Amino acid sequence: MAETASKRILVIDDASLVRLYYRDALERAGFEVAEALNGLEALEKLLVFPADLLIVDINMPKMDGLTFLRTLRRQDPAISATPALVISTESGPQDIEATHAAGANFYLAKPLAQDVLVAYVAMLSGAPA
Amino acid sequence: MNEFLAQFLVESRELVEHATDDLLALEQVPDDRARLDSAFRGFHTLKGAAGIVEFTAMGRAVHAAEDLLEAVRSGEQPVTADLVSNCLACLDQVVRWLDAIDAEGALPIDAEAAAARLVARLASPAGPSLADARAASAAEDPDPPWAGRLRADTAGVVGARIAIRYTPSADCFFRGEDPLGLMSRLPGLLALEIRPLQPWPPLEELDPFAANLVIDALSSASSKEVADHLRPVSDQVRIYALRQDDDPVFPDRAAKVLKAQLALLSAPRGQEMAGRWASAGRVAANVLRHLGMEAEAAVIDAALARSLAAGDPAALLAALEATVNAAPAAAPREGGDDPGRIPSSPQDAIARALRVDIDRIDAIVNLTGELTVVKNALGHAAERARQGTDPEGLAQVLKQQHALLDRLTAELQRSVLAIRVLPLGHLFRRFSRPVRELARTLGKTLRLVIEGETTEADKAVVEALFEPLMHVLRNAVGHGVETAEQRRASGKPETAVIQLRGRRQGEHVVVEVADDGRGIDVVDVRRAAAARHLATTEALAALSDDAVVDLIFAPGFSTVGAVTDVSGRGVGMDAVRSAIERLGGRVAVKSRAGEGTTVRFVLPFTVMMTRVMTVEAAGQVFGVPFDAIVETLQLARDGIVAIGAAEAFVLRGRTVPLISLARALDADTTIATPSVANIVVIETGGQLAALEVDRFGERLDVMLKPMDGLLGGTTLVAGTTLLGDGRVLIVLDPLELLQ
Repeated sequence: MAETASKRILVIDDASLVRLYYRDALERAGFEVAEALNGLEALEKLLVFPADLLIVDINMPKMDGLTFLRTLRRQDPAISATPALVISTESGPQDIEATHAAGANFYLAKPLAQDVLVAYVAMLSGAPA
Repeated sequence: MNEFLAQFLVESRELVEHATDDLLALEQVPDDRARLDSAFRGFHTLKGAAGIVEFTAMGRAVHAAEDLLEAVRSGEQPVTADLVSNCLACLDQVVRWLDAIDAEGALPIDAEAAAARLVARLASPAGPSLADARAASAAEDPDPPWAGRLRADTAGVVGARIAIRYTPSADCFFRGEDPLGLMSRLPGLLALEIRPLQPWPPLEELDPFAANLVIDALSSASSKEVADHLRPVSDQVRIYALRQDDDPVFPDRAAKVLKAQLALLSAPRGQEMAGRWASAGRVAANVLRHLGMEAEAAVIDAALARSLAAGDPAALLAALEATVNAAPAAAPREGGDDPGRIPSSPQDAIARALRVDIDRIDAIVNLTGELTVVKNALGHAAERARQGTDPEGLAQVLKQQHALLDRLTAELQRSVLAIRVLPLGHLFRRFSRPVRELARTLGKTLRLVIEGETTEADKAVVEALFEPLMHVLRNAVGHGVETAEQRRASGKPETAVIQLRGRRQGEHVVVEVADDGRGIDVVDVRRAAAARHLATTEALAALSDDAVVDLIFAPGFSTVGAVTDVSGRGVGMDAVRSAIERLGGRVAVKSRAGEGTTVRFVLPFTVMMTRVMTVEAAGQVFGVPFDAIVETLQLARDGIVAIGAAEAFVLRGRTVPLISLARALDADTTIATPSVANIVVIETGGQLAALEVDRFGERLDVMLKPMDGLLGGTTLVAGTTLLGDGRVLIVLDPLELLQ
């Protein structure tokens, strides 16, 4: 678990229940978790919290997930290549298409079981199995 | 109640409040895009929350409202009062469910019917387009739900391509079929689950020759192989091809993720941004490392570096394609991706939650640290006292520590009180709905404007304000504000405005309800007061208009002839006034004919800390709330005159009734009446009165504890507090004392 502990996950979701749910699962699995309530806050947070993986919701106030991803991918190389996992209730084929077009690396639909979340986060962030 | 359910309750209630606000604002300004988006997001987040706690009925109901708002967003639907009402009805139902969860600690089991009714009500009149579209996209998913469950239950099953449900007909044994034998020889059999089709009957009724089975199975064979094998019973079998990532090398999840990265990398040019494909490279390397394929990951890393240097994803794309197509089989096993259950923690009975600013908690934590230091110092002092060698030095230490403890307890008290502080917005938001409903019922057009929501007040004050404020608001809607026609006739804008405002003013919180209605009709008040014999006609004539307006606070006052559903029951403003005074506050009303009425509550910031003056009477110490005291004076006995059984004296031209506290508390005591009386003049409800006491004491700030238990019903007493020497100080309730 030593290496898992060094993987840092930034959860970007406006719903505190969702953040709590992710944080609970991820911290028990040994990840370090930080939170942002929307895209704007996430862009700021990334300057001080270089994350190994972003978990991004789509529908958020101030800056939604897709705008955030498009903005992120144009940033300085230090943060622009941060892997991003979109987890959203918008689960139509066109929604999934839109997340990839915006620069998301993977897409999962809500609701999501905690063990599934941890499995994907471990994989996408490169934590040991 | 588990942690998620508790959080779900807190969050959902907030979401409902905000969505209610948004909907009401939207009704006023239908093209307010920000409000529409915010309302939509509120329902959307509620749906997500319902999903997490697996409350599917609520999810469905909220989803229907979300669809309706989506139709508004896309311009298919206008914002109508009915649409808003329907969405509000959905929120009402959500609140009922939340209350049920609060009470039962579990999700309501009978929610389905209510949800179905709401969904029907909310179904978009524009047609079932949205809901249907979503259902259709879900139907494209070929995996039957039980197959996913079977996969999850048989953790470790990899490579399932076919799901089979075999329901042998009851007479299959007579046809020479052997369902279990057939299934056990199924090619590529990975998992098997056998269940009774109908619950097993009692043994005496059981027909051992009739099959009563459902057999579910997963297979890694091709659908042709499976179909060939099951041909003899094809009429009893359903075969499903499972969604496949036909990938022999990587486990399902890893293959899916890697393919998504390939897709990112091979996106059409023009969409290219270094961040996009570089992130794909990092994810690919991460996945490989996660699978323990370090060498392959290093290849990707190197290719990523080359691509970044060249500014072209080609090298990375080539390397990833090569890896995905040629990697050795070193895959750990994977289970299914079914959304599983949230692990539930032991049920805790939780009280209504109060959201507390983290800084305030930290302040208390710091104080407890400091208190521990004082505690330790006192331990040392005790040791020194035991040695008894240096009483002077010991006294010095104790004095210092006492001063420190004094400061810390004061701070602790302040910090604890700060926790109990709530923003008035909590309270104000609760009025939007009732005011809207009332205005609709009465056919009045009005807007409720809320200001100063962030103003804070003690939780006890905020909670106790609901009833009195509701009453004042009802009055404003029912009596204060005119109908649209009346307003037009008097040259006012048709839409009336009622403002609900809160602000902090020193140690007080001011809450106002201001309407721009017709104002209080002084003539009506005079007539009503005379009719109810509240004062003589002459006295009424002598009163100034402001004083007449104040009569609405008199017990039993009402100007409205007919008792409506709304107000005008004649138990109005006097109840409001006493409720506010119980909180230690004051009520005032200002009115201008034709321009409107403003009712103002001035409330203490906190009701917990009460400043009292101690007095002695009949050998006991009592507290009198400082707020109520006008002055203290000493009066020669001959200035006091007996009026019937009571006494009174004249203070600056006003006759003030005098009550002997000792006699009021214990009539039998024969008290020596000193030649000079010590008198405390108090004011309550606009009246002056005086208490005669034996001795004046000191000023104290006390934390008032209401009487409970056996003494709970005691009148005259506002509460008790502990004095420094351990005695109980009874604090009198001046309002009760005068009645």
